[in-house]
Amino acid sequence: MASISPLERHAFLLRRLHSLTGIAPIGLFLVSHLLTNSSIVWGLMDSRKAVHGHGGVATFQHEVDFIHSIPFLLIIEVFGLWLPIAFHAALGVYYARSGKANTARYAYQSNWRYRLQRISGYVGILFIFYHVATLRWGWTFLVPGGATWSGEAAASTMALALQGAETGITGAGLAVSIAYMLGVSLLVFHFANGLWTAAITWGVTVSAPAQRRWGFVCAGIGAGMMLMAWSAVIGFATLDVKEARGTEQSLQTGHTPGPQIAETLPQLMPAAASGGH
Amino acid sequence: MTSTHTQAHASAAARKAAANRVNAKPGRKVFVRILRCDGPGQPSRWETFSVTIERGANVISCLQQIAANPITSDGTRSTPVVWDSGCLEEVCGACTMVINGKVRQSCSCLIDDHAPTEGDTITLEPMSKFPVVRDLWVDRSRLFHNLKRVKAWVPIDGTYALGPGPSESAESQEQRYVMSTCMSCGCCLEACPQFNVEPDPAAWDTAFVGAHALNQARLFNQHETGRRMKGERLDALMGTGGVNDCGNAQNCVKVCPKLIPLTESIAVIGRATTIHAFARWFSGK
Amino acid sequence: MTQHRVIVVGGGLAGLAASIRIAEAGLPVDLFSLVPVKRSHSVCAQGGINACNEVARQQGYSEYEHFDETIYGGDFLADQHPVLEMANWAPKIIDLLDRMGVPFNRTAEGRRDLRLFGGSLFKRTHFAGATTGQQLIYALDEQTRRYESEEKVTKYEYWEFLWPVIEEGRCVGIVAQDMRTMQIRSFRADAVVMATGGCGLVFGKSTNSIICNGAAAARCYQAGVWYGNPEMIQVHPTAIPGADKLRLMSESARGEGGRVWVPRTPRDTRAPKDIPEPERFYFLEEKYPAYGNIVPRDIATREIFDICVNQGMGVGGDNQVYLDLSHKDPEYLTKKLGGILEIYEKFVGVDPRFEPMKIFPAVHYSMGGLWTQFTKGTYNPVEPRVKHKSGAPAPIGSDLGQGLQPGAPNNMMTNVPGLYAFGELNFAYHGANRLGANALLSCIFDGLFCGVSVANYIRNDAPSKSPSCDLPASAFDRVVEQENAKSKRLLDTVSTGDPDPATNPYIIGKELGDEMTAACTVVREDARLGQCLQRLDALKERYTRLKLADDSPWSNQSFTYARAVGDMLAIAEAVALGARGRQESRGAHYRTDFTERDDANFMKSTVARYNAQTRTSSVTFEPIDASLILPTVRTYGKKDAATGPKPPASAVATNA
Repeated sequence: MASISPLERHAFLLRRLHSLTGIAPIGLFLVSHLLTNSSIVWGLMDSRKAVHGHGGVATFQHEVDFIHSIPFLLIIEVFGLWLPIAFHAALGVYYARSGKANTARYAYQSNWRYRLQRISGYVGILFIFYHVATLRWGWTFLVPGGATWSGEAAASTMALALQGAETGITGAGLAVSIAYMLGVSLLVFHFANGLWTAAITWGVTVSAPAQRRWGFVCAGIGAGMMLMAWSAVIGFATLDVKEARGTEQSLQTGHTPGPQIAETLPQLMPAAASGGH
Repeated sequence: MTSTHTQAHASAAARKAAANRVNAKPGRKVFVRILRCDGPGQPSRWETFSVTIERGANVISCLQQIAANPITSDGTRSTPVVWDSGCLEEVCGACTMVINGKVRQSCSCLIDDHAPTEGDTITLEPMSKFPVVRDLWVDRSRLFHNLKRVKAWVPIDGTYALGPGPSESAESQEQRYVMSTCMSCGCCLEACPQFNVEPDPAAWDTAFVGAHALNQARLFNQHETGRRMKGERLDALMGTGGVNDCGNAQNCVKVCPKLIPLTESIAVIGRATTIHAFARWFSGK
Repeated sequence: MTQHRVIVVGGGLAGLAASIRIAEAGLPVDLFSLVPVKRSHSVCAQGGINACNEVARQQGYSEYEHFDETIYGGDFLADQHPVLEMANWAPKIIDLLDRMGVPFNRTAEGRRDLRLFGGSLFKRTHFAGATTGQQLIYALDEQTRRYESEEKVTKYEYWEFLWPVIEEGRCVGIVAQDMRTMQIRSFRADAVVMATGGCGLVFGKSTNSIICNGAAAARCYQAGVWYGNPEMIQVHPTAIPGADKLRLMSESARGEGGRVWVPRTPRDTRAPKDIPEPERFYFLEEKYPAYGNIVPRDIATREIFDICVNQGMGVGGDNQVYLDLSHKDPEYLTKKLGGILEIYEKFVGVDPRFEPMKIFPAVHYSMGGLWTQFTKGTYNPVEPRVKHKSGAPAPIGSDLGQGLQPGAPNNMMTNVPGLYAFGELNFAYHGANRLGANALLSCIFDGLFCGVSVANYIRNDAPSKSPSCDLPASAFDRVVEQENAKSKRLLDTVSTGDPDPATNPYIIGKELGDEMTAACTVVREDARLGQCLQRLDALKERYTRLKLADDSPWSNQSFTYARAVGDMLAIAEAVALGARGRQESRGAHYRTDFTERDDANFMKSTVARYNAQTRTSSVTFEPIDASLILPTVRTYGKKDAATGPKPPASAVATNA
């Protein structure tokens, strides 16, 4: 008998770990991350935050500060996030290579989802790498306008990284924003569809009706996450950088904003909120 | 219950076919375009034959006409087309091929449904997931090999008269009967993006086993005596090429001519392997 | 140490049952089949498998009555002893299949469900949905695969049997050809079991699979094996006319309450639903009040034929009658007959649950086949008994070994020692007519019961002293050369001149089928059979000038077919000769010029022998052992039984 590789010896364990890591920690992180980032929009609805200026900016800053207050963050990040993602991505590519899409002949919806799951995986890997490299590792040469994201000025630097310039969105900024839109959409699909297939893999949903019902639930989860993802990208891509900076400074100094800012709030809110749709 | 969706799907296609059938007239000429290949390693080529359609004609009767008179539509003398067939009643599975881009049995493929008017073309190709023997005849040995992988049998103590088998509820019999109508035609494999051509038999044991074999594993795991080998079957299906290689494209269940709930069988095996793995983990073996 | 081997040719129910039993007896088996065995023609059997069971037994039924029904159904031409043994084994065979996991339909309590079938007043037919044959062969296929994985059985699929190797007066192997590589080679064996089924393709379109051409039987026949009752060809009363074949509509459609009728007004143009009850002619029910629509096949066939061909009452003036299930609950029909109704809908495009089916008879089963012997069992009454009264206590118990001596080496052995014939290929069980749901039984019974005989023959007879592996190679090489020469002659015809329909193998095959269907099916008559024999001679002559369209040395299917046509001609001649020689009417064999059964002269087996020198057949009639049951008139309680159906002498059967 030929010697078998560890990949083959532990085939089942690896397959199930691949499935599991997609849900937890990666999927759970994705949900919380989108929740944090979409606070740039839903934060506008928190009137307590509005005292500092842009409620979304303030809420987002608050969320970021909370995350940065977690002890041993780097260790958690490496072992709870980067390694699982690397594991999920590497195995995912390995597994995906065994298939050959045939949607041209069998254009069933489930077959398209099969294909999209693999495409979204590949694109997702590139997107996550870009996302982490530019915003976490400071590979600013890849950022339009060369902005560096900073935890202290979370919203404004994020907006700058998407838009490319303080003066408003540039061509490169638009391209990056669209890429972000696409990237997060595919990742959300990947997660929601992965949740659906995981239920079959683990044998939770067995009958066709059960699979269909769980499909609706996954679609609902996906739709909710898609809303958060788009809110976040559009929220940052359309954020007024200068105003965001004002809010962030106000948060840092503990100053309540001047009356003129408070007066402008009612006009700002609907504008920002509508951008989140 | 579980195949309602598939049945609805099938009946929509049947309605369209019936509509075509009404307009079709016997005696018309249609073209049969065939992807031919002289043998393994030989190049493929297209040949088109013109066939006169009699009442109730199917792909088989067209191929029979061509065999008797193998002259292409441009008047060139060719050779009879080679194809695999048996019962011609869609119970043996032999005559499976790719017709107008989709896999199915050629015996149950009525020309009136697919080429209802004069001069229509119907396209025949061999299945792409198995090595071609010649023309439309493919070698499906791997399909049968995979039934050995999942030990698709009941381990009886020989053929001596040892009394009746286990009693079974009518409900279980109905479930098992549907699963047991699988005729090893290979439609589910042809349509599966995870099952791909593998001419080397040495690689068969680690390549994807396929929906048909997973369904057979479920069938025998559900039988009172067959269940005694459940562990062995699940062990085999937990390895490379086992149930986890399924990508849930679910084409299998849509192309299955016998409406077998294949995706349900896959999920049942998924659940069984989950439980089996935990049991094994905690039992310390 | 001597390694004995057994060859089984044919992977249907009989071949697989034999392989399993022989492998179990410790002899390695080489299993040859034209197709992957799972695709054998047995899959087409729809209705069920007969056996006495507890419910029927408590209502008065018995194994003995099953035996009596089978002999009566076969019009007293079957070998009585093997049928008795088969009937006694039947319940055990059902149990075995049950253990193998066959999903037999179940009652609410979880017991095996039963249905009514032709030729019996008791429910004695076990079934698995509407594809019983498929389910049975799958169970045997699975067990064979198990033995294959344990290396007790070696499969040669897509290998065609070409000729038996007969040396020292016994069969010691075969020559076969790989249908892919076209390699011809010999295989040694100490016994060869032929289980290659029927010969429906000799009649052109039939209910048989495309592989049932009878070529393997014909090759044995031409090599010196006798052929028994060749003229006994069952025409199934209910088939669906089709362009490529005639698809069976199972007898279970009648068993589940299907009613056969035609409009009382010939060429009535109304839709069947619009024809009121009094204007429908339920001719089977009116003529046979006791059995009604479930009269045996030969009677149903002739009555339908009579209504259409002689009385011109076929639906729409065509050769077709209604088989009506539309009065039954659609849900019930789906559950009980789903598979077969699906076939009708699939191939005709009409849902038989709501509209009556249109059907006509088609060639279905060969009761005849290679002639076989047996050793009688322990039941040998001083005088044969009179026909058993249905429901009366059985005169004997169902102990095994009463009909046949278990393990006797000559059980189902042909006249050539070491060459056995099992299943449909065996002529022994069904006489002049086979009862529905008895075929699956006889196939499995042969394999299981006589498999032991094969093992005993090898261990106690000639092979034990002179095993085939010790024989000189020349015996085998000679047959390989013969087959190589035959194939070279055919392949060499490709390069000669332009194609001509007269020498086209497909056209010769089609004309053979048309002629045999016209002259040798539902009704037969001396002059027409004489004409048929002349036409067969003409076809044989054309066959010698045969011209192939393909000389490829690889997977040459048209060559394979062309070679088989020559063998089909030999079988056809035996059928026509038997039909002409048997100057009486019996079972499926109906002579318009001899309408009565003639027990004095013809309660005998037809034995066809082939003369290799003159390349011609001849038939003789040899006595059968009818020492168990006394023949009676076979009427199935028909009203006014004396007259009988009377098709005219000019009638010609068509199955299109």
